[in-house]
Amino acid sequence: MLALIYFIVLSIIAVGSAVCVLLSRHPLYGALSLVVSMVSLAGIYGLLGSPFLGVVQIMVYAGAIMMLLTFVIMVLNGARDSHTPMFDKVSLFVIPAVIVLAGLVGFALVRAPIAFDAATVRGSVAITSKTLFDVAQTGPGYFVLFEVLGVLLLSAMGAAVLLAKKRLGSVDSEKTEGKH
Amino acid sequence: MELQAIYVQILALVIFAIGLMVAVSRRNVFFVLMGVELALNAVNLSFVGFSKTLPNDMSIVGQVVPLFTIAVAAAEACVGLAMVILIFRNRESVDADTYSNMKG
Amino acid sequence: MISLGLIPLFPLLGCIILGAIAVISSGSKKGPAEGFVGTLAVMFPALSFAGVALLALNMPEGGIRETLCTWIDIPMFRAEIGFLFDGLSRIMLLFVTGIGSLIALYSIGYMHGDRGFARYFAYINLFLFSMIVLVLSDNLLLTFLGWEGVGLCSYLLIGFWNKDLNNCKAANKAFIVNRVGDIGFILGMLCLVTIGGAAILNYDVLANFISMVINGNHVELVVPFLSVAGILFFIGCTGKSAQIPLLTWLPDAMAGPTPVSALIHAATMVTSGVYLLARLGSMFAILPVVLDIIVIVGMLTAFWAAVAGLFQNDIKKVLAYSTISQLGYMFMASGVCAFDASIFHVFTHAFFKAALFLGAGAVIHALAGEQDMRKMGGLIKKTPVTACVMIFAFLAIVGFPGFAGFWSKDLILEKIFMNCSMAIPGFTLFGHEIATIPLNGFVYAVGLATAVITAVYMGRLIILTFFGSYRGSKESEEHIHEAPAVMLIPMVVLAFGAVFAGYLWADSIGIKYFAETLAPVVGAAQAYNAPAVAAHLNPVIFAVLGTIAALLGMYIAYKIYANARIPAAKGSSAPEGGKATWTFLFDSLHKYVGIIPVNVLAWICDVVVDKILAAIQWTIGAIASILGDGAASFQVRKVRLQVAFSILGLIALLAIVLLTGGTL
Repeated sequence: MLALIYFIVLSIIAVGSAVCVLLSRHPLYGALSLVVSMVSLAGIYGLLGSPFLGVVQIMVYAGAIMMLLTFVIMVLNGARDSHTPMFDKVSLFVIPAVIVLAGLVGFALVRAPIAFDAATVRGSVAITSKTLFDVAQTGPGYFVLFEVLGVLLLSAMGAAVLLAKKRLGSVDSEKTEGKH
Repeated sequence: MELQAIYVQILALVIFAIGLMVAVSRRNVFFVLMGVELALNAVNLSFVGFSKTLPNDMSIVGQVVPLFTIAVAAAEACVGLAMVILIFRNRESVDADTYSNMKG
Repeated sequence: MISLGLIPLFPLLGCIILGAIAVISSGSKKGPAEGFVGTLAVMFPALSFAGVALLALNMPEGGIRETLCTWIDIPMFRAEIGFLFDGLSRIMLLFVTGIGSLIALYSIGYMHGDRGFARYFAYINLFLFSMIVLVLSDNLLLTFLGWEGVGLCSYLLIGFWNKDLNNCKAANKAFIVNRVGDIGFILGMLCLVTIGGAAILNYDVLANFISMVINGNHVELVVPFLSVAGILFFIGCTGKSAQIPLLTWLPDAMAGPTPVSALIHAATMVTSGVYLLARLGSMFAILPVVLDIIVIVGMLTAFWAAVAGLFQNDIKKVLAYSTISQLGYMFMASGVCAFDASIFHVFTHAFFKAALFLGAGAVIHALAGEQDMRKMGGLIKKTPVTACVMIFAFLAIVGFPGFAGFWSKDLILEKIFMNCSMAIPGFTLFGHEIATIPLNGFVYAVGLATAVITAVYMGRLIILTFFGSYRGSKESEEHIHEAPAVMLIPMVVLAFGAVFAGYLWADSIGIKYFAETLAPVVGAAQAYNAPAVAAHLNPVIFAVLGTIAALLGMYIAYKIYANARIPAAKGSSAPEGGKATWTFLFDSLHKYVGIIPVNVLAWICDVVVDKILAAIQWTIGAIASILGDGAASFQVRKVRLQVAFSILGLIALLAIVLLTGGTL
């Protein structure tokens, strides 16, 4: 019972801030609404027996990713651009379409008989890490995926640096150098 | 009234729909990225919700896979923002419609 | 005992070898060695003739049959390459190969110096091969192969001097008019196959079929069908043997070299129509309507061509119309079911007509190419041997007693009078009963009148060419010389034939050797149609009447042309005015019935149908374009819009999955 109340509250916050993302004018406002949404989702994770994941969500998503996003918005001065309208003809067409899509999927979902299982184990750090670092691979083999994930993150970092770097001696760099 | 599995799924669906709306209907490129992040979050929620319906030994999946998803989302956000910076240098605008070079 | 397959093989080999020589020497300026080529060219037909003679001497009464191989073998249809050597094909082969060899010998002299020497003899050998196949084959399909082959060779040889466009046009005309006839042949074959299956195309099977029908009294059942087949075959014969209405090609065919006219358009190819009628005699015997049509067509053709021969100034054209007229006689004989008489006339006609043509060729050779009779005259002193040959042949063709034509032509006229059963059926007119009017007397009278006119125009030819004073230019008079020996020998041999060939069937004297050799082949057919009551007329009456007709014609010719003043020839040798209308009557008929409608049709197709088809194509193309553009419009410039379309697609997919119960 209590779980339901917590769930409802958290879900209202999540959905509401998501709608705020949709309707916000300034990208920074949108970013901040997104952070609120993510935090409430983290709470729901905890409610559903995955506290580890909730914490990871806050640390990585809300903490790192959104910070990065906010940083780039500020660097590029996203607010300077006032010509970009918020919604246009495509949006007018897309929003009802997505609503219809969601309606169809929801209709299909609701007819499926799913129910919580009582014997679900609560996802503590110990259990999670045991599953992840299970080198002997007694269960489904997540170890290799985990290591690959590390490589993926490293390569993404390298790619980002390479892409966004100003070329030394290029016109752009001279110009900004000169302005300073 | 108990918290039922289907409620979690419905919530995930709603957040996914809103994320999709944000991604496709806003012209500012940052909003597009934010919409994608929202949608990915909804997927994670859906995973976690389903894992609670599974018995003992399988239910840990619901924590591990969203972990991977979060990591991938991080990588993707990083590279996407780097590209935004790169394109912004050329075109001086954050309007996603000006980034379209496809032949019609 | 030599194989039958060797007889067509020799000329075929000759054609291939000579063709190879012609192609190999086509690069050199002077051409191949004439002596060598000429020897080869005469050797192969001569070998064929020797083979035929050997086979002919010991031929059993029923004939020799030999099947070479299977030609077509599919479930629906089976045809074999087989040869049949019986009395009819023996006669035909003897004079085809014999006269062919003689004319090949003559051509060595006539074509001397021509650059296409080897090519000419290759074509001649190909022609002989086709003609032998036509005559020797034992089924209609193989006969048709030979039929087409002789048509092809006729085209090749008429247009031999192909630098001149008129020759090419004449060759085209011959081939195309023949083609129209061939449609009749093919449809006739199909008609027969419908009745009796593919096996009925074999002559023996056909004869058995007909005798079975007669014995079983089923004649009335098959007559309608077979009448259609008979008329179709007769159309084929009119095309090949130049009868009304497909005769316009034969006068134009005189554009080819004279030996070609002698061989193809006098002795052999044009007689294949008559040969076909004799072969299918058993079938035609039970078709009275078709026989009447054949008689009428033959009669009209003979008369028309004889009158047209009077109007011509070119020596070869006179002979061409003469050929058409004599072919009309042969068809008249076939029409009264006297097949042996018609084949006999074919036989004698081959000799005297070939002699006439070769003689004309010698005259043309002597005058260095002059063919207009108005510029000739008095040649008997300068070219006596040629004149002799032609005069003997002239006597033969008019039916002078003792010469070949006397026996054959009078036999035909006698058979017409005796056997013709055409009649106008009785009817009532103004309350009076008019009895059946028999028409055999009328047909006989027309035949006799044609004989008179034949004598007139042939007499005119002889008088204008050989008697009187020379009307040409002075310098050409110096060059007139007798033909070389290689040309004279065949002419003399043929002149002998023109005199003595008729004695093979001298009915009045009682020699019936020719009829006896043909009896096994055509006897049954003729017996079926023999008149119920043989009229008791002395055959001598017909001989006397024929002789009177010949003498009358000769006298008229002498009276009109002997001392007449021939107007100076100006312009071309073609007839003018009313004569031109008569001569080109059937050309005009072809023009109005055939060529102009085809032109109109072609114009309609070109302007109307072409535009309609182009419009249809354009429409289909436009539809494809529009569909393509429509599909392409889904590819948009903006990414967002593209994603929006994807969402739309996803909705559609989901809807379908849900609607079909999720088990897609």
